[in-house]
Order: sequence, then C-alpha cells, then structure tokens
Amino acid sequence: MKGEMLKYSWQVVVCVLTVAAATLAQSTQNAALAPPVVVSPADKTAIQTFEKQVKDYVQLRDRVKANAPKLSKDSTPEQIQAYRTALEQSLRTERAGAKRGDLFRPETADYIRRTLKIEFQGKDRQELRKTIFETELQGVVLRVNYPYAQSAEFSEMPATLLAKLPQLPKEVRYRFVGRNMLLVDRESNLIIDYMPDALP
Amino acid sequence: MRNFRIYNFVFAFLVSTALFFPGAAQKLNNSNVNTAHTSALKLALPVKDGSVRFAVIGDTGSGTPKQRDVGNMMVQYRAIFPFEFVLMMGDNLYGGETPQDFVKKFSEPYKALLDSKVKFYATLGNHDQPLQVNYENFNMNGKEYYRFKKGNVAFYSLNSNYMDKKQVQWLEDELSRDTSEWKVCFFHHPPYSSAKKHGSDSQLRDVVEPIFVKYGVDVVLTGHDHVYERIKPQKGIYYFVSGAGGQLRSGDVRDVSPLTEKSYDRDMHFMLFEVAGDQMYFQAISRTGETVDSGVIARRRRS
Repeated sequence: MKGEMLKYSWQVVVCVLTVAAATLAQSTQNAALAPPVVVSPADKTAIQTFEKQVKDYVQLRDRVKANAPKLSKDSTPEQIQAYRTALEQSLRTERAGAKRGDLFRPETADYIRRTLKIEFQGKDRQELRKTIFETELQGVVLRVNYPYAQSAEFSEMPATLLAKLPQLPKEVRYRFVGRNMLLVDRESNLIIDYMPDALP
Repeated sequence: MRNFRIYNFVFAFLVSTALFFPGAAQKLNNSNVNTAHTSALKLALPVKDGSVRFAVIGDTGSGTPKQRDVGNMMVQYRAIFPFEFVLMMGDNLYGGETPQDFVKKFSEPYKALLDSKVKFYATLGNHDQPLQVNYENFNMNGKEYYRFKKGNVAFYSLNSNYMDKKQVQWLEDELSRDTSEWKVCFFHHPPYSSAKKHGSDSQLRDVVEPIFVKYGVDVVLTGHDHVYERIKPQKGIYYFVSGAGGQLRSGDVRDVSPLTEKSYDRDMHFMLFEVAGDQMYFQAISRTGETVDSGVIARRRRS
C-alpha cells in the first residue's frame, strides 16, 4: 500500500514539474515576443490621429494613382519604371507643402519612441540594433517628399517590433535609417515623413 | 515517430553516374558559353518519373561575369537534370532597377533558361524594390508574399523584410488548411546562419518558427548571407542558406558552429532539388560545377 502511494506520488511530482516547465517555456517565449507597452488614453488618441492621417494620405494617393499608367501583374521593366516615375512625380506635386512632423506629430512620436525604447532595451536586443545599423545607406537623403535612394538597401523591419507599432495599410511602410524612423510610400519610395532620433 | 535521415554523400555516390557531355548543353543553349573552368558534372539526383524538380539561387543580381557563370552552369546541369522552375532567394537586383538593370542582372544571365520557358519565382531581399512583384519574369503575381503548388509540394514565398501582422496571419491561415505532402517556405533573411556578416535572424525566427513547427513546414530556403550552408535540422525543419548566386563572401562561415551540417564559402553556387514521393533530394553545386553538398531528406509523418 505504502509502495503504491509512493508510486502515485512520483507521478504527481512528474505532472507538476511538466506543467511548471511548460508554463516557464511559454512565459519565456512570450517575453521574447512581446514585452508589454502601456497604452494610455492619450496614446490611444495619438494612435487614432496618426492612423487617420495615414488613411488620408492613402486616399490622396489613390486619387493620384488613378492618373498614373496602369501596372499589371506581369509588367515589363519599362512599364514598372514609367509607373514609379509617374506616381512619384504626381505625389510630390500633390504634397508640395508637406513637411517633417505632419504625420509623426509630437504625441505620436512620443508614443513610438517609448515603444522603441522598450523593444530595444536589454542585452538580447543588441542583435536588433546590429541589424538596423549594418544597413548600407549610401545615397539616402532624409527629406520629406523626396524619394529614398533606389540604389540603397532597406533595413529589415523586425517582425516583433512591427507587431507593436501602429498598423499601416499596405501602401505605406515604416523604415529605419540609422536612428531615424521613416514613413515611406511602398511603391514610389517617397519619404512621407520621418522622425529623427527615434531609436534610443 | 519522426524519422529524419540524411544519407549524405552515400546517395550521391550511388546515383552520380550521369556524366556531363559538353554537346548536350550546347544543344540546349546556343547563346551561352561557359568560360569558367569547370569540373565534370556529376548528378546526385535520381531524376525519377513524375518528380518535382527545381533549382534555387540567391543574392544573384550583381550583373557580374561570375553571376553569368552560375547561370551558365545551371544550363549545363539542366541538360542532365531538366528542372522546371527556379526559386530566387532575394536581392534579385543590386544597386538600381532601371530597365537596363533588369537586363544586365537578370534576363541576360538567365537568358537560356528563360528561353527554355523555365519559370522563376522570386522573393524580395533587402536590396529589392517592392515593385519587383509586378515584374513579369518573377511570377509574383503582384504580391509580396504568395503560395503556389507543384505536384505534391506547396511553396510559400515570404517577404522577410517586412513581416507584419497581416503577413503572419496570412501565413498561418494558408498553412493551417494546406494538405500538401511537402511544405517549403522561402524568403531572404535566414532564421539560422553561421555566417559572420549577418548570421541568424532571431527576431524573424521568434515569429515564424513556431508557425513552421505548428503546421509542419519541412524545408526553409533562404539567402542574405553570401555563402552556402545546410543547417542541422532545427525542431524537425531543414534550413538552407543559399545566398551566393551572384555575390560571394569568401571565408564568411564560422569555422566552428553548432548549427552547421555542411557549408561552402569558397565560390558561388546554386542548388538543385528533386521531390519524389516521400523523398526530397538536394544538391549544391559550385559556379564551376563541383558538387559541394548533396543528400536526401525523408518527409516527416504528420499526426
């Protein structure tokens, strides 16, 4: 009887240890994927405003795009170039008065900087910084309504970070240039806005 | 019970009997003449009836003579291994994307293959403009991430430059209802790599690997590091880095790495794959025709 109880005790211990190990593994994985960002009511307002402005940009872009040559899914390089050039020129004309901070307003920039600070803190995030800072950016001039140099490479946007930033429609992208964060038009490559010293 | 085995080299010795005859490639390709010093070609693939055959190239778009050498060697191998399509691991065009760049860095080096109706399926690298998705010869159908199927193999091209929530959700949705026998994902940044320049992309890995494991992805093909590396299976998945189709970072693979099953960083290379039933055969070939790695992967059984 005693021996049988001892046998069951071991089974209970094994079960408890297994559950504990699984919980620990899950929490470790979650920690790697998503350190929490505290979003205040003011942040929510800032994010909503930002998303509304991005939406307005996309609407403007759609209007401009209607006048550009059509681009099919099986285009020639010449057609791609013609489309890109037309879209870029039309957007630049349409947004001639655009200036830095139009979309990355102070309250939005503040929220994004805090998000980046949390994402980039800790030893394990050194690799993240390395990924961004190793990007070769020859020819990139930071200027709103000017194109990101076509010959320059893009920094990879970390998937873990993209999950935490305000979500963007497919026409618009975040991009890093050194410590600066850019908002770029996906197809024309125009810099819609940028915020300096975004990275800690 | 999972059963993964690689009969490395043993298989190669058994089946590598198809020797290269220069005339065969000449018949296939009148316009390209390989000027590189070449080894006698040896095929480590069985060329079975009804198999899915494809090639893999990565980080190609330099427009250099050596990129053309690799393209020419692919043509020569196609004479003895008639692959149907090519997967491109990104960085398809370096340093500019004018129409002239498309010619110099893509359509010229692979002219013979394009003329033979070989289809190229591209993914975007960190040097590639997103509008490449509309290029007729990259077969991306206007999409930065897409799926296509050949025989019993489903292929997923992902955009690892920008793995946002939408893409992650799409991948999970597609994989969850995919009943294909084989699932192959390809994208630019390697979740595992022993190269010194870039190395493993753990940020990306944190997000995609749990999905690969959950839905039974068998093989992951990547580029970015300008070397060849076959990674020891990770959580049951075979990872390859094939990023030296037009660029080479000689000596970049770490001498001692717990990840490496096999590596090669002395010359450029391309890869050949053949999927026949439950077996996936692979062969990595240098610019000059030397076989630098080969083997076979057994499909894992899913519960």
